[in-house]
Amino acid sequence: MTDWPQAFEAELLRLGVQPGRARRLADETAQQAAETAGVPAEIFGPAHLYARHLVAELSAPAALSPRTRYEPGPVMLSLTGVSKRYRRQTVFTGVDLTVRGGEVAAIVGANGCGKSTLLRICAGLTRPSGGTVKRTRRVGFVPQDGGTAGWLTAEEHFTLFGAAAGMVPGRARSTGVHLATRLAWRPGRQQRAQQMSGGTRQKLNLVLGELHAPDLLLLDEPYQGFDQGTYVDFWQQVFAWRDAGRAVVVVTHLLHDLQNVDHVLDLGER
Amino acid sequence: MTPRPWLHGFLDLCLLAMLRERADYGYGLSQRLAAAGVADVPGGTLYPALLRLEEQGLATPSWAPSEAGPRRKYYAITDAGRELLDGQAADWRRFRDGVDALLSASEVSRD
Amino acid sequence: MTTLVVATLSAREVRRRWAALALVIALPFWFYLVRRDATGQSMRMLTLGIGWAISTLTLFVVNASRGVDPRLRLTGASVVSIIGGRLLAMTGVGVALAAGYWLLAWLDQDVLHPWAAALMMLVSAVVAAPLGSLIGALLPRELEGALALLSVVAVQMLADPAGLTAKLMPFWSAREIGTYAVDGGSAEMVLHGLAHAGLTWLICAGGTLAVFQWRLRLARYPEP
Repeated sequence: MTDWPQAFEAELLRLGVQPGRARRLADETAQQAAETAGVPAEIFGPAHLYARHLVAELSAPAALSPRTRYEPGPVMLSLTGVSKRYRRQTVFTGVDLTVRGGEVAAIVGANGCGKSTLLRICAGLTRPSGGTVKRTRRVGFVPQDGGTAGWLTAEEHFTLFGAAAGMVPGRARSTGVHLATRLAWRPGRQQRAQQMSGGTRQKLNLVLGELHAPDLLLLDEPYQGFDQGTYVDFWQQVFAWRDAGRAVVVVTHLLHDLQNVDHVLDLGER
Repeated sequence: MTPRPWLHGFLDLCLLAMLRERADYGYGLSQRLAAAGVADVPGGTLYPALLRLEEQGLATPSWAPSEAGPRRKYYAITDAGRELLDGQAADWRRFRDGVDALLSASEVSRD
Repeated sequence: MTTLVVATLSAREVRRRWAALALVIALPFWFYLVRRDATGQSMRMLTLGIGWAISTLTLFVVNASRGVDPRLRLTGASVVSIIGGRLLAMTGVGVALAAGYWLLAWLDQDVLHPWAAALMMLVSAVVAAPLGSLIGALLPRELEGALALLSVVAVQMLADPAGLTAKLMPFWSAREIGTYAVDGGSAEMVLHGLAHAGLTWLICAGGTLAVFQWRLRLARYPEP
């Protein structure tokens, strides 16, 4: 198994680790294996899986349990008695939700109960039929699918969305590439959105949602097509946003996501 | 030995505690954890945790030769690490006492 | 700023759709070849081909960006800069196409007023971009939009040029200027054509803007 360190280093690079750092990590891992007089594959398992594990571990915020509670910040979003009707059909009524900076809220419920509609109302893309919405001005919205232009590359998307937010192209691109590495993704220069895998396109979607450093992030099941490692990265990223004082609202149907969130709004049981 | 899920979250605490006692290298730490009866931590769990402590400035590394074989990376606790350890130790004792209280209450009621 | 970035990226997108682009560039040429023997007919067909090609291409570009438009709005772009940027790019593509075909016609045909022929093709290309975007704004699917554009161009082609139907069609201006370019006559025809083109452009661009202002409107929420 002499190619273990090479495979490990290659996977680190693929995950967006800087080349110098990847080399150091690979050297060190080989040294650690030597300490225990074993071969890397036996101690650490398959190279690519260990690389992902290591990247996820290193990008975790000080993950000592129990988690430090942050003082909740100002209110970023508040819904009071919000309802939505399409003609005669009532989608939901009487929805109340308050999310402050440094908090994560999850919207859950069965298919068709209006989770995505509620998120679009939070964004301001759909009008509520009743109730009041108050919201901070700077908001990032990540739809469940779509939301990208098929013929443009990732960097062109960064330029486009950056321009919309008033950023100069160079800064928008470097910000986008930097945010992508946090999701273990290194955008290809030539690859258009339509050529990306579903999971990669969702990463692009996420980066576009936070490119302009919004105070409130609205995410609609943004992890579809993610593999297990990326899924873990995604939630770590959500908690990193929270710890940076942002408010996050996530539409989800996976119940095991809910153990670490501050608010759960169940649209299904109403 | 303790099942691994229990250790998750407390591994950093254990590592910092051992490093406060004395600086050590990876394999030595894993042997001390096993000897203390806490857990048999595999290298794939231990080394990322050590690297993370290093990157968060809670432990500083230094390389030292060994009597036989390759040089070793020794970790020493930093002031930030000591400070965090104090806070976490208090959290841990509260947690442990809470679990103990629940366990002994359930044992009393069964009798 | 945003307008220019949208324009640049739309132009890049068009360049990448090389299959559609090749067909679009070739289409007026086939129209032209069919009646190459008759100067007036061939010039009119060529011009109508340019208009059809550019409006269809604009329709594709507008449809392809449906997903990003609401997000660009939320990020801070104005509707005018999004729509304006796209029209700017497509008008640029249209002008380039018209220039190329004017050169061909100038070399290959004996035209009475070459400058008027240039104006005819230019007018067709400039009107085509907002027409395509208006159809794209009203009809959400590419196929429906392409069929609608086909109907418009077919009616334009077949209607009696002096009748009311032809005058109500978007490319009447090019036809009017074309008649002067090929057959001569009163220069007033050019003015009529330009006025018709200006009005059509305003209606199509204004209509596009109105539809998108409505579709991309954001609820104004107070800050908490």
